Amino acid sequence: MQDTATTGDGIHMEVGAAFGAEAAACPQPVFKMLREHAPVLKVPGGVIISRKADIDEAFRRPEVFSSNADALNIGNIRPLIPLQIDPPDHVRYRRLLDPLFAPKKMAALESRTAALVNRQIDRFVGRGGCDLVPEFTIPLPSEVFLTMFGLPLEELETFLRMKDGIIRPPGEPDEQAAHRRATADEMYAYFNTVLDARSVEPRDDILSGFLQVEDLTREEVLDICFLLMIAGLDTVTASLDCFFAYLAQHPSDRDQLVADPSLIPNAIEELFRWETPVTGVPRIAVQDMELGGTEVKAGDQVMVLLGAANTDDAEFPDADRVDFGREVNRHLAFGGGVHRCLGSHLARLELRVALREFHARIPDYRLAPGTVLEYTSGIRSLASLPLVWEA
Amino acid sequence: MKVEIDTELCHGHGRCYMLAPEVFDADDRGHGLVLAPSPPAELEAKARLAAANCPEHAITVTD
Repeated sequence: MQDTATTGDGIHMEVGAAFGAEAAACPQPVFKMLREHAPVLKVPGGVIISRKADIDEAFRRPEVFSSNADALNIGNIRPLIPLQIDPPDHVRYRRLLDPLFAPKKMAALESRTAALVNRQIDRFVGRGGCDLVPEFTIPLPSEVFLTMFGLPLEELETFLRMKDGIIRPPGEPDEQAAHRRATADEMYAYFNTVLDARSVEPRDDILSGFLQVEDLTREEVLDICFLLMIAGLDTVTASLDCFFAYLAQHPSDRDQLVADPSLIPNAIEELFRWETPVTGVPRIAVQDMELGGTEVKAGDQVMVLLGAANTDDAEFPDADRVDFGREVNRHLAFGGGVHRCLGSHLARLELRVALREFHARIPDYRLAPGTVLEYTSGIRSLASLPLVWEA
Repeated sequence: MKVEIDTELCHGHGRCYMLAPEVFDADDRGHGLVLAPSPPAELEAKARLAAANCPEHAITVTD
């Protein structure tokens, strides 16, 4: 990449081009260029920030870097709870929701998650190959959700259709907005029906848990369900995509995990750091300010580039080296501050169980010959991840 | 050694009790709790490791 980043309009074009498909596949050099030459990069509508120190600052000051509904609108009619609620109201929601997603609660899902993982592997292990995306990384997070919600696995298609209707609606931009609205209405109605059933007959599932939380109105519960659907499925799919693609192409790293599965938790943290499947999170500046010598106006969007923070060598020694034995790793793949990913403990569980069970049964695999991996930008998922192994 | 968590800064990443479960535990929300505020010598390295991995810099370890 040319080093033209320091001059005016050049950077816009350079970064615009850089954030295309090639950069989504290998974003770390782009992050480095930004940190070094334009750590607070002006773009239409706001800025992109890429240094760990500035990003820490943004996360520590939610009263200035707001996560309110202006930061992201995707068809929801009310703010997404708790993502689009700022303190002090946010504190109330997190106090109610954190216990439902705490590590000890998530641990109860471990054996059921392992069963879901193995059910998928059973279908392809004897075939000597599969496309991991449709056969594993897409269905798994939705099946875990269905299990958490106490819904039958037959609802998988409905679930996938609803989340895709919001996240990747078909058609031109105005058609997309209409499709999102229609899907959002469907999703509110879908969960309303299930919640009606749970309020009559509570079960040991998270929806019944929401209803048992006093002071949460039905609308609030629906807004939480909406957020979980759009925040908890594609992000885990993308993490599985990124991690398995990395391991397929780095057999010596993979062999370490096969030889010693106790390394998996630390390897997951390192892969979260290096791959940062959710590249950035948006905030809105609520007041005029100066950031790293750049003027930011009230109302500007501040795109917080998590992947750039996670590869900043001011924070991480040897930041460009993937080291499963890395001892100090303050990565921000789940964001930071008050909006730290509510589902981070669930995501870690799913990744840990998936890597453990998969490598126990399929220890040696590689990309199918001729594969060119195509990552989406933003949330770095793959359309296809064809793997082959000796059956 | 003295180990403390600043509860204003902790946002429940859970790194401390994953890395040093003998020194830290999770509360009901998944935020960190100090189990061993004055850990024995054999756990000091683990306490330091956990502090070094806190994404919010919420843990202080003093000798």
